[in-house]
Amino acid sequence: MTVLDLPTKKAEAWRWSDMDTLRAAAESPQAPAGVDPSDLFLDIDGPRLCFVDGVFAPAHSRPGPVEVTRHIPATDHPLGSLAVGEGWALHLGPEHAATCIQIVHLGTGGENHVPARILLADDAVASVVETFAGTGWANRLTAIALGKGARLMRSVRLVQTGGFVSIRDEAEIGEAASLVSIFLGAGGMGSRIDGALTLTGKGAFAEMGGALLTSGSQRQEAAVAVRHEQIEGTSRQIWRAVAADESVASLAARVEVARGAQQTDGEQSLRGLLLQRTATVNLKPELEIFADDVKCAHGATVGELDRNALFYLQSRGIEESQAKALLTHAFVADALARIGEAPVREAFAADAAKWLEAAL
Amino acid sequence: MLNIQNLHAEVDGKEILKGLTLSLNAGEVHAIMGPNGAGKSTLGYVLGGRGGYEATSGGVTFDGQDLLALEPHERAAAGLFLGFQYPVEIPGVSNVQFLREAANAQRRNRGEAPLSGAEFLKLARAQAAALGMDAEMLKRPVNVGFSGGEKKRNEMVQMGILNPKLAILDETDSGLDIDALKAVGEGINRIMRAPDKAVLLITHYQRLLDYVQPDFVHVLAGGRIVRSGGPELALELEREGYGALAA
Repeated sequence: MTVLDLPTKKAEAWRWSDMDTLRAAAESPQAPAGVDPSDLFLDIDGPRLCFVDGVFAPAHSRPGPVEVTRHIPATDHPLGSLAVGEGWALHLGPEHAATCIQIVHLGTGGENHVPARILLADDAVASVVETFAGTGWANRLTAIALGKGARLMRSVRLVQTGGFVSIRDEAEIGEAASLVSIFLGAGGMGSRIDGALTLTGKGAFAEMGGALLTSGSQRQEAAVAVRHEQIEGTSRQIWRAVAADESVASLAARVEVARGAQQTDGEQSLRGLLLQRTATVNLKPELEIFADDVKCAHGATVGELDRNALFYLQSRGIEESQAKALLTHAFVADALARIGEAPVREAFAADAAKWLEAAL
Repeated sequence: MLNIQNLHAEVDGKEILKGLTLSLNAGEVHAIMGPNGAGKSTLGYVLGGRGGYEATSGGVTFDGQDLLALEPHERAAAGLFLGFQYPVEIPGVSNVQFLREAANAQRRNRGEAPLSGAEFLKLARAQAAALGMDAEMLKRPVNVGFSGGEKKRNEMVQMGILNPKLAILDETDSGLDIDALKAVGEGINRIMRAPDKAVLLITHYQRLLDYVQPDFVHVLAGGRIVRSGGPELALELEREGYGALAA
């Protein structure tokens, strides 16, 4: 049983993690998902892959340039290192492009582990949209390496009805390359979105952010570390957390600037919104800077909906629940606005809106 | 149209309105003037239904309905518009989205069909143009980065779109330069001067009344109306101050 070796709350990096829910999800019996995997793809042209309980489902897939392959990940991350077995890989040669690749992960119970690798050669361009649905424990490791000038846009939505999703991203971003990863947690599952991004080339761009929406007794968290190793790098971590009922949303974001990584431009914006006072948002912004010509903006705030704004909307004829939904949607909108492709951005916004309708 | 009878109201347990009585008929413009702390803004908020502003006794009817029993959004649907002294900035929500939601929520509440996107845009552009507001500002987030004058013009654009029966305008003239004051005054006259409509102007100064001639002027001091008269009362107040009256 893999669940025996889980990290514990004693480790600082895992103090807000919900390993009990992960364990329960791993031990949950399999039951029909009642979802047709083909309904989980967005209506966008492009390659499609479907994994059901971590097993590639060819009937629902047309992988195009993506290979389905077994690999053994090289990581010492406690969850990432468990993602062993059949997975997928996207390798693009110089100046090649593959956009709107959709990957659907459907779980029916129990645990499933899928490793993935994205290697983009110089000036290659790719975009990947992932959807997690169903239940059970879905554990993923994604290793990313971007060559000079390569660009990757990743959009990941967690809409499992229950269970747990753990994601570990490990990325190396080369000279003038760009990685943007945006996550939306808008289901009923627990989650741990975990990232280590390293800017290995001059003038690289790294972004990891998104929105976590929690309700009931749910716990979701994101823990991201961005490391600037070369000069003129730019990084963005823009996270929004909305917590209702007794739920807990946690955001830990770290920026490390190595000695000599001058003219680094880093930004962390962590903001939490409590829909009820019984909910919790934990924020932990961290900076570790060993260079002297660096700009690192950081902000961390938790609050409630602005009563003035709420009354203003109501006084114009908008019902209280709708007014709250409008304001909450606006609160998460700027994190999701970073998604480059309009149909994907709209689909994520619609998922967030659906969550709000249910929560308010 | 609006009947306020012996209204008492408190904020944070402190009584601010102490037996206010006032009647507005259709076709009338009333101005309420008074020193700071008299309860002018409290009156606006109590009539608008803001949380924390509690009517403790007395009553208010609006077109025969018990106004105080309605939720704020129901008051709006019934035809009441509250113009804010400090219009609120709402990042992430565009003016167009906000106003279309508002207009259609009111229509739904009244059992009317919602406006289509095209119908709404036409209406919004016409109202913006009439108030000299750049149509591009309709796309911007509500009041974010607007100057004081732009915010107040935006209130009038909203009033034009929502087309209320009764407008309660709280210090709509504060923070306005002379051009904006003129535009806002003309907006009030154009939108609200009609036999089936009424306006309650809450103001500290006479200057808006140069553009919007009130039929009646009331002095609010110590939580009640201490004097009522015609337009000449505003001029007298401007000349002599509130001190003598409030005493």
